[in-house]
Amino acid sequence: MPIEENPHGVQAADLIVGIPSYNEASLIAYPTQKASEGLIKYFGTKNSVIINCDNHSTDGTRETFMNTRTEVPKIYLSTPAGIRGKGNNFKNLFEKSCDLGAQAILVVDADLKSITPRWIKNLGEPLFEDFGFVAPLYVRHKYDGTITNNIAYPMTRCIYGRRVRQPIGGDFGFSGELAEVYLRQEDWTPAVSEFGIDIWMTTTAMCHGTPICQSYMGRPKVHKPKDPGESLGPMFLQVVGTIFDMMIKHADFWKEVRWSKPTAIFGFGLGEMEMPPPVDVNIARLYDKFQAGFADWESLWKDILSANLFEKLSEVRALPLGGFEFPANLWAEILIDFAVAYRNRINEKGTLMEGLIPLYFGRTCSFVTESEPMTIQQAEELIEEQCEVFETSKPYLLNKWSE
Amino acid sequence: MKKILIVDDEEVIRMLYGEELEEEGYEVITAGSGHGLMEMIERDKPDLVILDIKMAEHDGLDLLQEIRKDFYNIPVILCSAYSSFKGDLKSIAADYYVVKSADLSELKQKIKMALEGQTPPQPSLK
Repeated sequence: MPIEENPHGVQAADLIVGIPSYNEASLIAYPTQKASEGLIKYFGTKNSVIINCDNHSTDGTRETFMNTRTEVPKIYLSTPAGIRGKGNNFKNLFEKSCDLGAQAILVVDADLKSITPRWIKNLGEPLFEDFGFVAPLYVRHKYDGTITNNIAYPMTRCIYGRRVRQPIGGDFGFSGELAEVYLRQEDWTPAVSEFGIDIWMTTTAMCHGTPICQSYMGRPKVHKPKDPGESLGPMFLQVVGTIFDMMIKHADFWKEVRWSKPTAIFGFGLGEMEMPPPVDVNIARLYDKFQAGFADWESLWKDILSANLFEKLSEVRALPLGGFEFPANLWAEILIDFAVAYRNRINEKGTLMEGLIPLYFGRTCSFVTESEPMTIQQAEELIEEQCEVFETSKPYLLNKWSE
Repeated sequence: MKKILIVDDEEVIRMLYGEELEEEGYEVITAGSGHGLMEMIERDKPDLVILDIKMAEHDGLDLLQEIRKDFYNIPVILCSAYSSFKGDLKSIAADYYVVKSADLSELKQKIKMALEGQTPPQPSLK
């Protein structure tokens, strides 16, 4: 049972803003304030509430949230002590949303430094115009979101045929109806209970036939970015593991999909864009971790990968950092081989996913090297080209999946 | 025979495009505005929509989002006398963007590609 504090006795709400957190006391006040301002300014006639769905933080997150001055009432909701995971926070939020009878639920990250009241408008309004799922669209630094750029976006687009640029953006909107759908799903894995939740929500919306739009936030996403070589952590395993789990679950759906289709856009039209702050990446560390992967994982890669892919990988291994290139088509087909091995349970899932990490470092190293002299726009075009390569690999996926 | 819906408030454009595309072997239906457009798509089930952006009563870019909401799989080609709308983020939701011209060869090529399921990569944010 979640722990709840509801000092205003809120029993019903049309619109909810949920802020998931774990030890975000230093940052949560800002998105809480902006959410309240946005709800008052753009949804003044709606019955709204802000819910902090927390993992029983010990740094004073609850106190900071509840003491933040807002015009909109607040509820604090937490997993019991010792229960962690963003997905667990969301599950509590889905249940609370259904209890409150909400029509629309928005979620924004607790570490957001660039949120404006307009984000609330742009994530929320489409939900009152019959869209069921709203994904964010914002400018990010070319090195921010490397899992998104090199795995989640191209894979989702190739597999399910929907172009959602930020499928794990963290800031979403969804209808009360979709919250009920989420609660009814039976594939609530440990990874979904943690960082797998974002890709799980996006994919479930796609496969459920929910009307989807992307909403332009107007400002770049500024939060606590991470150097992918330094702090990948369990997030990679949970996100990619969930992508593979969803591929197994929805195979009948995606086998029928050939090319991707654009998605509706909501938000601003023409206008100048603010550029995001730079993100530092240590290229040499990525390269070293890729090379070191051969010592630990070469035999696993030999088992999993098609012979010609392993051969190409060995050629990539021989390249010096100065001329390093890990081609996108090789990367796409490696991911496909791993997905098939995951389904076939060739190895224990955790081991398999660990074995993918050095290859991801290799591809990220190549992307960072190639995009180093590029503007953010040019890097975006490079990501789009990579997506085309992934889509071209769909027949390879279909072939391997049917073996 | 593939069915194409032309949505344009200029009758002369509907006639010109209609005749040329019928000569190419397509079945053509037309609408002079966005009124009842979703119902028309639901009823007539076109294989592709050619959508004018700047119409007297409707904004084609808003209609495009409506189409994507209810019929996300239908290819949509945006048509405009102006190339400036390409800079509007909402145009990303279209499969193709074509600047109106008396020479319809580019439009015909895009129709062919869109009907084959080929869409260009999503334009970047900026």
